[in-house]
Amino acid sequence: MNEQKLTLKDLIKSKAQEFGLPRLIITGFLLLLLVLSPIVGADLPTQISNIINRFSWNGILVLAMVPMIHSGCGLNFGLPLGIISGLLGATLSIEFGFEGPVSFIMAALLATPFALVLGSVYGWLLNKIKGGEMMIATYVGFSSVSMMCMMWLLLPYHSPNMVWGMAGKGLRTTISLEGYYTQALASFLQINIGNLTIPTGALLFFALLAFGMWAFLHTKTGTAMTAVGSNPDFARSAGINVDKIRMISVVMSTWLAAIGILVYEQGFGFVQLYMAPFYMALPAVSAILIGGATVNKASIMNVVIGTILFQGIVTMTPTVMNNMIHLDMSEVIRIIVSNGMILYALTRKTEGTR
Amino acid sequence: MKNKSIGDYLRRFSVPLMFVIICLICAPISGLSPNYLINEIVTRIGRNAFLILSLLIPIMAGMGLNFSMTLGAMAGEIGLILVSDWQIVGIPGMILAMIVSIPISTLLGLFCGKVLNMAKGREMITSYIISFFINGIYQLVVLYLMGPVIPIVHSTIKLPRGYGIRNTVSLLSMRQHLDNLIPLNIMGVKIPVATFIVIFLLCLVIIWFRKTKLGQDMRAVGQDMDVSRDAGIDVERTRIISMILSTVFAGIGMIIYLQNMGNIATYSSHSQIGMFCIAALLVGGASVDKASIGNVFLGIILFHTMFIVAPKAGTVITGDSMIGEYFRVFVSYAVITVALIMYETNKRKNKSKAGMQLALDQEQEEANG
Amino acid sequence: MDKSKKRRLIYRIAAFVVILLIAAAMFIIGRGHTVYFDNKMPENVGTEVSVPYKIEVIVADKTVAKLKSGERGMADTMGQNFKMQLLVTKEKGGDAARLQVGLKLPYNMDGIIINLPALLAGLDENAYLSEFVYVPSAEEMKEEEVVTDDTDGQMNFEG
Repeated sequence: MNEQKLTLKDLIKSKAQEFGLPRLIITGFLLLLLVLSPIVGADLPTQISNIINRFSWNGILVLAMVPMIHSGCGLNFGLPLGIISGLLGATLSIEFGFEGPVSFIMAALLATPFALVLGSVYGWLLNKIKGGEMMIATYVGFSSVSMMCMMWLLLPYHSPNMVWGMAGKGLRTTISLEGYYTQALASFLQINIGNLTIPTGALLFFALLAFGMWAFLHTKTGTAMTAVGSNPDFARSAGINVDKIRMISVVMSTWLAAIGILVYEQGFGFVQLYMAPFYMALPAVSAILIGGATVNKASIMNVVIGTILFQGIVTMTPTVMNNMIHLDMSEVIRIIVSNGMILYALTRKTEGTR
Repeated sequence: MKNKSIGDYLRRFSVPLMFVIICLICAPISGLSPNYLINEIVTRIGRNAFLILSLLIPIMAGMGLNFSMTLGAMAGEIGLILVSDWQIVGIPGMILAMIVSIPISTLLGLFCGKVLNMAKGREMITSYIISFFINGIYQLVVLYLMGPVIPIVHSTIKLPRGYGIRNTVSLLSMRQHLDNLIPLNIMGVKIPVATFIVIFLLCLVIIWFRKTKLGQDMRAVGQDMDVSRDAGIDVERTRIISMILSTVFAGIGMIIYLQNMGNIATYSSHSQIGMFCIAALLVGGASVDKASIGNVFLGIILFHTMFIVAPKAGTVITGDSMIGEYFRVFVSYAVITVALIMYETNKRKNKSKAGMQLALDQEQEEANG
Repeated sequence: MDKSKKRRLIYRIAAFVVILLIAAAMFIIGRGHTVYFDNKMPENVGTEVSVPYKIEVIVADKTVAKLKSGERGMADTMGQNFKMQLLVTKEKGGDAARLQVGLKLPYNMDGIIINLPALLAGLDENAYLSEFVYVPSAEEMKEEEVVTDDTDGQMNFEG
C-alpha cells in the first residue's frame, strides 16, 4: 500500500474493492436471508445455532487451506488425502475399543502419523511439479479416495460396530459414533439459551488451532512461509530452503484436514467412508475464497468469515426458500455460488504462483 | 526435444504398456469369452470415440485436457430432452438434437474460452471447476426452468410435480438407430457401420483442420503464446475457437453416446464423462500437450478392456464384486494423476534444459536440499 | 478485403439458412407417432359395421399385431404418411384377404387410435381415427426423488 492521502470516498471505494464484489453480494444475500427468516416463519435462534454448529464442524477443514496458500502451493484440492488420514485414525480408534471422548483423543493421535507420512509424500510430489499443484492435488485426492475404497473393504477390521453384519468384514459406508466421540467437543461447556445452542468446546478447539496457526505464521518459519509464497525466487536468494518450507506447509495442511474431519464427525455423529471424502475439498476451498482469500493470500480472518458466510448460506437457503415459495433450490444455489467463487478466484491475475 | 532415446520411448508408452499388462493378466482370469469381449469393445469404440476425439483440439491449442467437455455433453442432453418431448424420433431426432445442441454448445464454449483466457497457465483446474459451475446452471435449467419456462409436455419426461425433468429420460425411440442404420455382422461381431462412418468423418475433419490456417495458428499458439502474438495471431480468439469446437463436438459425441445407451440419466450422465474420456485418451499414450487420433483408438481399446475385465477378475480373485469396481475407478484416476505428474515434470525438465546456468544451479540446489 | 468479408457473411447466412431448413425438415419427417389398432365395434358412429374374426397388421414388412375381435395392437411410426398391410380373416377358418392401406396421420397427435372395422367399412376419418390420450399410471405419478449428488455417478459408469 502506498502512503498516499486518501479522501474518504477513495477509502470507502478501496475498502469495497478489497472486500470484493462477489463477497459483498454473498454477505448481502446472507443478511437478506437472516432478515427474511423470521418473516417467513422460521425460528431465528434455531437458524443461528445451526450456523454456529455448522461453523464448528467445518472451521478446521477450512483452516487447513491456510498453510498451503501461504507457501504458494495454491488451493489444497488434495484435502481428501488428509481426510483419509483422519478416517484411518477414527476407524482404528474404534477398532481398538476406545470409547467416549477418549476415542476422539485417540483418533486424533492415531491419525497423526498417517497425516505426517501421507503429507510428506504429498509434499515431496508437489515439490516436483511446482506450477501445476492444483490440478495434480485434485487428482491425488481422487486417486487416494478410490484407493481407500478398496482398502476399506480389504483391511482386517473386526469391530462389529463398523463392519457389514452379513459378511463380517469390510467397513460400512456410514458408521455411527454413538457411544464413541459424537458431540465429544460440542457438549463440553455447552450453552443452551432457549432454542439457541452454542457448542462451546468445539468453538474453543477451533479457536485454539486458529490461534496456533496465527502464532505459527508469526514465527521465523511462518514468516519464511509467507515469503516463499509471495516470491519464491526472492526467498531462495534470502537463504530460505523453499522446498522444505513448502513441505512443512503441505504436512500441516494434511494434518489439519485429518483433525478437521474428526471434528466434523463429532458434530455430525457419523463417520462416512468410501466416496464421501471425494468432493470435500470443494466446499472448504470455496469457503476460504468467499472469506476473502485469494489463490496466494489467506488469513485466519478469511477462514472465520468465509466459513460463517458459506455455512450460513448452506443452512439458511433451504429453510427460507422452502418456507417462502415451497421450492428448494438451495442445492443448485450452493453449487453455483461455491464453484462460481472458485472460478472467480482462479481467473484473477495473481503474481507468484501460477 | 528431438533426441529421443529408448528411455524416452519407454516413458512415452509406459501407460499403454502397463494397461496391456493389466489386460493380459485380467482377461483370462475374468473368464469372459473373446467373442463377448470383441463385441463389447467394438460397441464402446462406436459409443465413445467421437467424444474422445473432441478432446484433441484444445490439446493442439496448448490448453491441456479439456475437463469442461462436460459442457458439450450437457448441451447434447438438453437437445435430446427437448427432442424427446417434441416426439421427433430416430435419425431425424438425433440430427435435430444435434442442431439444437450446437448453439448451446457454442455459447458454453465461448464462455469457457473467455474464462480460460483469464486463467492462462492454469487452464486445466479452471476448466475442471467450470464443469462444476455449469453443472449448477444445467441443474437450474433442467430442474426448475423446464416445465414453466421451457415448455415440456409429456409426463413421461416431466416430474409429476409439474416442473423439472425425471431422473431418467428414455430414448427408446432412437435407441441404437444410428448403430443399426447399416447393419453388419462379421463372425458374430455386430459392427455399427454408420456410427463408424461418422467417427471417420470427424477424424478426416480433424486431419484437414490441422492443415488450415486456423489449425496452424492453433498449433503455434500451443507452442508459444508470446511468439504467436508477435507473429500477428490473435491468441485469445484462437483459443476461444478451439474451446467452441471442442464443446460442439462433445455435444454431438454425447448424442451419439446416448443413442447407444438408450436412456439419459439426466443428472449424472455427463458428470463422469469428462473424466473417463480423458483417462481413455491418456491410456492411449497421449499426454497433456500431445495427442493424436491413434491415441484415441488405442486408448478406447485398452481402457475399456480393462473396464470390462477388471470387475470380473476382481470378483474371481477376491470374491467381492465391489473390489473390481473400485479398482477400475482407482485406475482411471491414477492414470490421469500419473499423466499430469509426468507432464509437469517434463515441462520443468525442458525448461531447465533450455534455461540458463542459474536455473541449473537451482535444480541442483533443490536436488541436494 | 471488403468483398471477401461480404462473401463470408453471405456464406454464413447461407449456412445458417441451410441448417434451419434441415431442422425444419427433421421436424416434419422425424415426428414419431404411436398408432394403436382396434379390432372392435366403433363407438358413437351410428352405423353398425362388421367386426372381422382376425386382422393381422403388417408395417414395414413386419407383423406388428395379430388381432382377434375386440383386441388392440400398437406400432411406432415416423412421419405422417403411414402405410400398412392388413390381412383380414372375416370368419374363423376363412381365407385371409390382403389389402394395402395408406393413411395421413395428424401431426399434433402423439397417440392415434385407428378403428380397423370402421376403416374397412369405408367410413370417414373422424369415425375411424381418434386421439389416444396417455394417462400416466399412479405409479408413474408418484413423486420421485431427484438425485443430483455429485458423487453418485462415480461407480455406475457404463462406459
